[in-house]
Amino acid sequence: MNVFDILVKYQQAFADGLIVTFQMCLIIWKAGIIFGALLGIAAARWPLILGIPARLISFILSGMPILVFLFWLHYPLQSLLGIVVDPFITAVVTITIINIFAVSEIVRIALIDFPSQYIVAAKVCGLSAFHTVLYIQLPIILRQTLPGLLMIQVGMLHATLFASLISVNEIFRVSQQINSVVYKPVEIYTALGILFLAICLPMNGLALWLRQQYTRDYSER
Amino acid sequence: MLKADNITKSFDQTKILHGVSLSVEKGKICALIGPSGSGKTTLLKILAFLEQPDSGSVSIDDLTYQFPLPNSQKIQPPWPKVTVVFQQLFLWPHLTLLQNMTLPLTTRGLDNSPPRLKELMDLFAMNDFVYRYPNQASLGQRQRAALVRALLLEPEYLLLDEITSSLDIEQTAIILSQLKKLSGQGIGILTITHLLQFAHDAADKVIFMTSGEILEEGGANILTNPKHERLSQFLSVLKTVS
Repeated sequence: MNVFDILVKYQQAFADGLIVTFQMCLIIWKAGIIFGALLGIAAARWPLILGIPARLISFILSGMPILVFLFWLHYPLQSLLGIVVDPFITAVVTITIINIFAVSEIVRIALIDFPSQYIVAAKVCGLSAFHTVLYIQLPIILRQTLPGLLMIQVGMLHATLFASLISVNEIFRVSQQINSVVYKPVEIYTALGILFLAICLPMNGLALWLRQQYTRDYSER
Repeated sequence: MLKADNITKSFDQTKILHGVSLSVEKGKICALIGPSGSGKTTLLKILAFLEQPDSGSVSIDDLTYQFPLPNSQKIQPPWPKVTVVFQQLFLWPHLTLLQNMTLPLTTRGLDNSPPRLKELMDLFAMNDFVYRYPNQASLGQRQRAALVRALLLEPEYLLLDEITSSLDIEQTAIILSQLKKLSGQGIGILTITHLLQFAHDAADKVIFMTSGEILEEGGANILTNPKHERLSQFLSVLKTVS
């Protein structure tokens, strides 16, 4: 049985696993980018009240392995609170929290490092505050942050694999289950690797292209 | 008239301006000269309403602001009636030079390709490089783009900070003739410059500033017959360098 045969025979199981992975990703990406951007803007606007706590949490999360955080939310916390949460929700919440703080840090830094001289130039050219945000700040900030944001989202997709360890039936867990039946680890994990490469490489490529295209040397020689 | 009266300004306990008064009349060119760190750019920013003085007043036509401003008073920014071309230019890096020049027109709902744009692009020989981004253009090319961006706004007062520093003699001469033309059209111009010939040929009034004070002002003749010893020293240094 080769890779193709396995994919055909277990296509329904793979499709189901992929759907779960994509469902997780869509929630994690959307919530992470929206709430992360909002938190980043708020943290830049109110550095004492929000900026410092957000940075502190980002710092702590950056030092904690995702798996430990996920297991802590799944076992000890739920046991302490006396509740049982669907593993899918636990995994999504865990990775979303990490995504929110990672995105907020990128947005916060882009905002506080924004060169004020471009706003001064907009002022003396008579641009309104709205036009300054629309035509000057947003395009520059998007160009600066987009590659980093894309790379983080690829990382979040990778992180969804950890959900398999708390029994979420995403693509990795499905692959493990199929492997336990047919015992073709080389073929199955090769197919899984190819699948992830097919999704992640274009995203990484896009991030690289955006980086080359937009984060050019802005310094004026 | 754009006028600053008895302006003082400090940064971190260091006094930058000590009761400076200066006026820019419509239709006149005023050249501000002086050594680096004398407070010229700070004064220019105050006249452009980009910086607030600690005390003194700034007037634009019939509107006067007395500083420190009372809490109830807010400045009505006079841009682009007053506009500035900075030494550092501040071109927007994500836009081409052409987009830099036309964006302020677009946002004000004006024609973004007025005959004046073509006229200025031809005059400053810009057609070959307007599609470049600022970081792809030379300093001289960027200076021309920043000046054209300001000129297209049709300001009533134009404040220029060392805009000829990287231009060749021919381009400097073009800018000189343009400034004269603009003042002839009733625009008041204040230009900070280190080019004595430029100041001599262009200015109706020359002001020498050092250590946050105006030491001497008058017609272009103060460059040839300075009264103040410090101005003589400054001029001789500049002449030696040039």
